[in-house]
Amino acid sequence: MTVQRFLHAVDAVSTWVGKAAAWLIIGLMLLVCVEVFKRYMLNMPTAWIFDASNMFYGTLFMLAGAYTLAQNAHVRGDFLYSSMRPRTQAGLDLVLYIVFFLPGIAALVYAGTDYAALSWRINEHSTTTADGPPIYHFKTVIPIAGALILLQGLAEIVRAVVCLRTGEWPSRLKDVAEMDVVEEQLADSDTIDEADRKAAIERAQKIDETARQRGMGGDLQT
Amino acid sequence: MSDPALGLTMLGLIVVVIMMGFPTAFTLMGLGMFFGFYAYYNPAEAWSDNKIFDLMVQRTYGAMTNDVLISIPLFVLMGYVMERGALVDKMFYAIQLSFRRVPASLAVASLIVCTFWGIASGLVGAVVVLMGVIAFNPMLRAGYDVKLAAGVITAGGTLGILIPPSVMIIVYAAVAGQSVVKLYAAAMFPGFFLAFLYLVYVVGWALLNPRIAPPLPPEQNRVPVPAWMRSFQAAYSPNMFAGLLKALTSPGKAQAIEGEEGRISYRQILRHLGYALVPLALTTGTFALIWWYVVIYQTRRADDSAPEGLEQLGAPPSAAPSAAADIGPATSFYVVFGVLAALAALMLVRYYRRMDADRLVVVKLLTASVMPLGILTFIVLAVILFGITTATESAAVGAAGAFLLAFYARTLNWKRTKEAVFLTAKTTSMVCWLFVGSALFSGVFALLGGQALVEQWVLSMNLSPVQFMILSQAIIFVLGWPLEWTEIIIIFVPIFLPLLKHFGIDPILWGVLVFVNLQAAFLSPPVAMSAFYLKGVSPSHVTINQIFAGMMPYMLIVIVCMIFLYIWPGLTLWLPQYLYGG
Repeated sequence: MTVQRFLHAVDAVSTWVGKAAAWLIIGLMLLVCVEVFKRYMLNMPTAWIFDASNMFYGTLFMLAGAYTLAQNAHVRGDFLYSSMRPRTQAGLDLVLYIVFFLPGIAALVYAGTDYAALSWRINEHSTTTADGPPIYHFKTVIPIAGALILLQGLAEIVRAVVCLRTGEWPSRLKDVAEMDVVEEQLADSDTIDEADRKAAIERAQKIDETARQRGMGGDLQT
Repeated sequence: MSDPALGLTMLGLIVVVIMMGFPTAFTLMGLGMFFGFYAYYNPAEAWSDNKIFDLMVQRTYGAMTNDVLISIPLFVLMGYVMERGALVDKMFYAIQLSFRRVPASLAVASLIVCTFWGIASGLVGAVVVLMGVIAFNPMLRAGYDVKLAAGVITAGGTLGILIPPSVMIIVYAAVAGQSVVKLYAAAMFPGFFLAFLYLVYVVGWALLNPRIAPPLPPEQNRVPVPAWMRSFQAAYSPNMFAGLLKALTSPGKAQAIEGEEGRISYRQILRHLGYALVPLALTTGTFALIWWYVVIYQTRRADDSAPEGLEQLGAPPSAAPSAAADIGPATSFYVVFGVLAALAALMLVRYYRRMDADRLVVVKLLTASVMPLGILTFIVLAVILFGITTATESAAVGAAGAFLLAFYARTLNWKRTKEAVFLTAKTTSMVCWLFVGSALFSGVFALLGGQALVEQWVLSMNLSPVQFMILSQAIIFVLGWPLEWTEIIIIFVPIFLPLLKHFGIDPILWGVLVFVNLQAAFLSPPVAMSAFYLKGVSPSHVTINQIFAGMMPYMLIVIVCMIFLYIWPGLTLWLPQYLYGG
């Protein structure tokens, strides 16, 4: 099935970039820790740390935007949405992606390109400190992140179309979820009842889903 | 349509579209872009030169360089690592054993674990599911009232988003332009006060009506004392503390005892003495820290700020010595400190006199399961609150510390590290993209004059500050039903913020009330998610209505807590004022 392969290929690109950017958090952590040590213990602060940590953080969340979208992890008011049928969801999504998402993100890419181009032309440096580090590459992150998220948005539109035709949401790449911690915490426990543990681990994802629908979609109506 | 009316249309539209379930960050961007394009529209220039594009990219860059939001990924990472590194079931077991003589011990232990866990992680769903497995089913099996058991876990599970270091507080700080540090200090007492009210309620109810929380059968409450400890007691003294001290000087008898891994060694005696000394060390440590901060640190700081020999221009030279006398803390501090220290010493003496094997084992379990997490959060919070480092710096140190602790406890492997990193990226990206969208949206909203119209409208109602407080909190309460806290804090809170000044309400106090308020919103039937998480793990005879009924009293407690916070603003504002001045 070629559509599915296209969707997973786009997901894979977004996910790869997002996961690569995710490691910046370790860099940010170490950077700040070293700076804390240098500043408070050795009394030799570094001037460019402020700009550098901004770059780590800004790049991290901007580039992870498409990854987050690919995992459907952007916050949405899913109170009503999650209790609708997939076809209705897909219809709404399709319209709203075209009306809000495409123009908004296209504008971001367009404006970001200009913004970054200007920064490259004037060889812009940070003004937070005297003799600040260059920031034109940091500003280039905006159009790149915008383009990635636009690509992922196109994939989401295709998803909505597929769902409208088949009545079922196409699959997503499997990824770590917040509920995984249930399994990790319970797997080797020896103080908890065996049957309870197994049942909870098995059903963790399902519970998450049903809770988000506030019991309206599933088997919780007891 | 006039511009302000257009602004209101925009606000109305956003509510409608959020309800349709589209990712909120992009809804905000799209709407902001369209309305902004219209607001900036100038027939004389090409459409591609519209200023909305500049606004958009500047707002984006503003979020990328926001020096408050930067601590979000670090705190989130710390939370995820701790959540994977600490063992919550061991923690529950140890706390439950140490509270085994308190009425409703399982419920009390659940609340304490939730509060503690809330410090580490801010996820409602995972906490409720975990606690549901670890505590809910045992409570039902012990014959606890279903409503009591359900309420404790759902209410405790939502505490995590309130108790510092919480991401919600950072986001509010970024939105309201307040200091993260001050907000942390302000939310400190209310968070623990709420947990305390919950505790009082549970214990009080169990005292009045013991049938709802029958004590556990003795075999489940028995502390697992190893056999060697019994023989050790027989050889030295029934008091383990005294026995261990004696064994230090005459280890001969101890070394003859068979332990689980062969003979008892001298190192084992030392280690157990170390465990026995933990309560003493904690108590003296706390008192020493308070003493250090109030008496030494502040005096030194005051000395630093007024260097000698530097005279104010035109100041009488005799003013200096009298000022120095005022620097130290007031006499009342010494009195209170002395009384508290004496009480603590008394309790410690009593504790050590009855240090039997049970007690030592409980202390050992507690130390192993709770202490690492406790020490780390304590250090992170203390470093922030005492103003030693900034929130970002202490978040980074906290995250690194969480890694170290987890490696030390051997609970973190490569897979879990990766998971924590990726989850951090997703959560950060979710919050920060929402912030990007909202920054554009609120810019355009203000540009169209929607903000001014709302302000005019509210001012024309001639509300008193109390009325305004109630109105704003009621609106946020209702918004808390269908929406997540991220959306409420980032989109709707900024609308109220400019009005606070007019009514003379402290934005820090108001913010803390919002945090507490959202607790109530997340506990209100029929939309509370935590109830459905709990339903997912509970046995089939528990109905969702029973869980809701169990949650209701806690909702009332939250509201009572809000009233207390309003009547005594000192509960919120004292700590930030004391630590950082007015």
